[in-house]
Amino acid sequence: MTAKTRIAILAALFAVISVPGVVSSQSPDDEAAPADYSRKGADTCLSCHDDQSTLAVFRTRHAVPEDSDSPFGHGQLQCESCHGAGADHSGRVRRGQERPPIFAFDQNSVASISEQNDFCIDCHTEDLGFAWHASGHDSNSVSCAGCHISHADSDPVLSASTQVEVCFDCHQQQRTQFMKPYAHPVRQGKMDCANCHSTHGETTDLLMVRQTANDTCYDCHAETRGPYLWEHAPVSEDCGNCHDPHGSNQPGMLSMRAPLLCQGCHSEDGHPSLPQDERGLPSGLPSQFLLGESCLNCHSEVHGSNHPSGSKLMR
Amino acid sequence: MLKPNTTHCLLTTLSILLPGIAMADVDTSEWLCEFCPFEDGYRGSYDAGATYVSEDSARFGNGTGYDEKGAYAELDGNGSYANGAYRLDWSVEDLGLSSRVLELDGGLQGSFGFTIGYREMPYRQFNTARTIFAASRPDALALPGGWVAAGTTGGFTQLASPLQPQNAESDRQVFDLGGNWTPGSHFRVFADFQRQNRDGIKISGGSSFTNASLLPQWFDYETDRIDAGISYATSRANLGVAYYGSFFTNNQQSYSWETPFTSSPGAEVLRKSAAPSNDFHQIALSGAFRATAWDTVTTFSAASGRGEQNEAFLPYSINPNISAGALPSDSLGAKVDTSNYAIAISTRPFPKGRIRFTYRVDERDNKTLRSDWNRVIVDAFSSGEIEQNTPYSFDRSHLTLSGELVTWKDIRISGGYGHKVLERDYQEVAKQTIDAGWGQLRWRPLSWLDFRVKGGTEERDIDRYDESVGASFGQNPLLRKYNLAYRFRSYGELFVGIAPGESRWSIGSTVLVADDRYNKSLLGMTDSEEIRATIDVSFAISKNASTYFIIGHENIDALQLGSEQFNNWDWLADHEDTFDHVGIGARWRDANDKFDISADYNRGAGKTSIRMESVSGGDSLLPDLKSTLDSVRIKASYRWTERLQGIVDIRVEQFELNDWALVAPDAIPTVLTLGAEPYDYDLWAIGLGVRYSFGSRDIALAN
Repeated sequence: MTAKTRIAILAALFAVISVPGVVSSQSPDDEAAPADYSRKGADTCLSCHDDQSTLAVFRTRHAVPEDSDSPFGHGQLQCESCHGAGADHSGRVRRGQERPPIFAFDQNSVASISEQNDFCIDCHTEDLGFAWHASGHDSNSVSCAGCHISHADSDPVLSASTQVEVCFDCHQQQRTQFMKPYAHPVRQGKMDCANCHSTHGETTDLLMVRQTANDTCYDCHAETRGPYLWEHAPVSEDCGNCHDPHGSNQPGMLSMRAPLLCQGCHSEDGHPSLPQDERGLPSGLPSQFLLGESCLNCHSEVHGSNHPSGSKLMR
Repeated sequence: MLKPNTTHCLLTTLSILLPGIAMADVDTSEWLCEFCPFEDGYRGSYDAGATYVSEDSARFGNGTGYDEKGAYAELDGNGSYANGAYRLDWSVEDLGLSSRVLELDGGLQGSFGFTIGYREMPYRQFNTARTIFAASRPDALALPGGWVAAGTTGGFTQLASPLQPQNAESDRQVFDLGGNWTPGSHFRVFADFQRQNRDGIKISGGSSFTNASLLPQWFDYETDRIDAGISYATSRANLGVAYYGSFFTNNQQSYSWETPFTSSPGAEVLRKSAAPSNDFHQIALSGAFRATAWDTVTTFSAASGRGEQNEAFLPYSINPNISAGALPSDSLGAKVDTSNYAIAISTRPFPKGRIRFTYRVDERDNKTLRSDWNRVIVDAFSSGEIEQNTPYSFDRSHLTLSGELVTWKDIRISGGYGHKVLERDYQEVAKQTIDAGWGQLRWRPLSWLDFRVKGGTEERDIDRYDESVGASFGQNPLLRKYNLAYRFRSYGELFVGIAPGESRWSIGSTVLVADDRYNKSLLGMTDSEEIRATIDVSFAISKNASTYFIIGHENIDALQLGSEQFNNWDWLADHEDTFDHVGIGARWRDANDKFDISADYNRGAGKTSIRMESVSGGDSLLPDLKSTLDSVRIKASYRWTERLQGIVDIRVEQFELNDWALVAPDAIPTVLTLGAEPYDYDLWAIGLGVRYSFGSRDIALAN
């Protein structure tokens, strides 16, 4: 399929989806009567909700009156910007009558997760756009509030040292992997998931922050990008062919111990095809193919070589 | 890259669709926010103290900077200043360590913002390595005076005395500068610059004819990165154009060393190239819009990039006695074009159903010219053969279609299909097709109970395995490379989450079982099985105390067949890779917020077992590769006054590694290693300090 054909397909898809948007842009919802809001806005809410965890919202960027786009910006709906119209909730209730719930952002909310998220996305269009809807997080019904604490003085998911614990709440297998002996310094709090993954959604595979997994790796490991004179084919295709970036039992986060990893692809007559077993340990006949850096004792430039004599990645 | 008319078409379409943001028609004239305690002024805290570490350890210091025994100054802090919409946030972390972080983030909210950051990241590989080499220049290693070469390490009669400690370590410094500007309520302009410097010593193999030396190779990398763009967003659509540039400079373009082994005349000094400096530029257009029909959200992106590398070549050899002729060119003039297109459509044709479609294309088109090259084998002699470079390209497309249906009792049934095509050149498999199908059932019978079961299969098929490609390199024609071979994968996943809203318990558990069969491979990877399981329990003992317990287990079994001869497999390797993690911890703070203590214990145990079986060696079991980490951390603070706290941070950590590959410098007759030893430490670190807070800690209503 040529690039032109692909672009044509994408443009056609885009157009097909655009049409119903134009035709139906005035939906019944848009014409619905406005709901009843509280009489005094935030002052009404704060007359009951004056605990520290609620008030912490005033230490966040949501509560800046001078920013007209902030929920507390002039003319905005303050608490009810996010929690919805609160007249029923804040109104008088008869003795014994249950107070009508307010729109909340938790698992017990009367609103679905999709509805909760729409409240956030309505404003956060620039930062995350609608790529959220392309993400696995959305399809797995992850809520914004499942990761973010909007009423916190400092939101844990926005700090490298605390973000991973938020992610590990769901991604428990990754927590195990980062405990392995060879891993990126996530356990030490020096890297976080967002260094590599765009958690708000991307059209990329695995929510990578760059267009491909390799492009993401090159952000910090640009020395492996090349293009080299002598390329190593699996390297330029996918770093994950050899590395487990979430951690490994093997040095260099390799997915398998060398030389067996290399022998998965190389069986040329001679040393690549020989079994490297216990005979090659120091107690036997110490083997240069098994010990030290294994294959890399000689073929050190596994990511590629720019040396005219480097076709075997030894220079 | 998108053609101008295509881009114009998309922009026009979007401009038609963008409605303005409708403000709610609410009378807020009495909404005075009199009780609202808006932030104003300074607030923050600073920590000052010292930590003592009881033992040298590269591994403990990796990432943290605590790599040497002794005392370290501890300076941390964070704070903020707010004045209306003007804000300034700053933080300082580990200022006294080589893992220090400084960040400044400010601006006028809703108008502009800026960030300035600096951070260091230490990479500490080994502090037990030893070498005979000394750097005569940063890019050259010399043998000690009077060195007598020998054919094997056993003949290095002078080896012991000149061995000097040589840490394998490097430091990364990252400087960030960024800004954004919001000229209107819909537009946003941003530009971020980052410079990364990374320098230090890495271990790198340097080969001579039949020998090699592990070298302490000095490197000095510099990478500049620019991200800049403009976006337009409304409540219904957004569109952005961005530029990404990455500029890598290697300040050491080659590396030479004197071989300690007996060599032919002229081959006493050897040289290899280092990673070449290179650039990458990319323009990306991305956007999305939301149509009310079926609540359809369409997201798309298109990116076009070019990578270039034109570093001057070294000659074929540093050996003055070898004449391999002129190079085809002075430099490669390498060019790689990348194209990435994607579209994702999510729609709800009816309230309880949802369909998602994604299509993505990634292309790498390596336009580097092919040339004829001679080869001088390890600076010793000419191969006498002409070789052509192989600039690899690929073209990868991935289509998925999935749907979800909410049925009776809020049971969600979903399923999907994926079709991936990968086309390559110069490799054994020119076209690879992956078809995947999966199904999932999710049930939340109660708001606090979540079950999810997922299963699927994936078949990776190939049009043909061109054995002539591998044969041209002398490859066994029966080998199927694991990333190119036919593979059938089946897997199942289970997730259970229990988090009663009013209960103090929260339990989550995941299990993944996967099975890969390389049914058509006679040599190479043939089978792989994987099991991953976790249990995560937390319990709120009281309002001020909580505890947790975590278990993680991973096991990967893989079978690999190899051949010394070319008609069938005659050796096999049976791998078993396991890892177990246990974590337990608790936190308590008193009701008056005076005393706060947390304790965490983590144990990580890894084991790799490799059983070999061969015609020549029979059954053979390599010793297990093992690692065991036991780590305890206790953190406590006591508040003396409103503003002053005492803090204690105690770490006790034990790590033991068994790795047969790490051997003494002369353990291998043909390789001079650096003699780095397996990690083995048992240390403690105690930090004491004070924290001073300023600004109001508690928040009170304004009136």
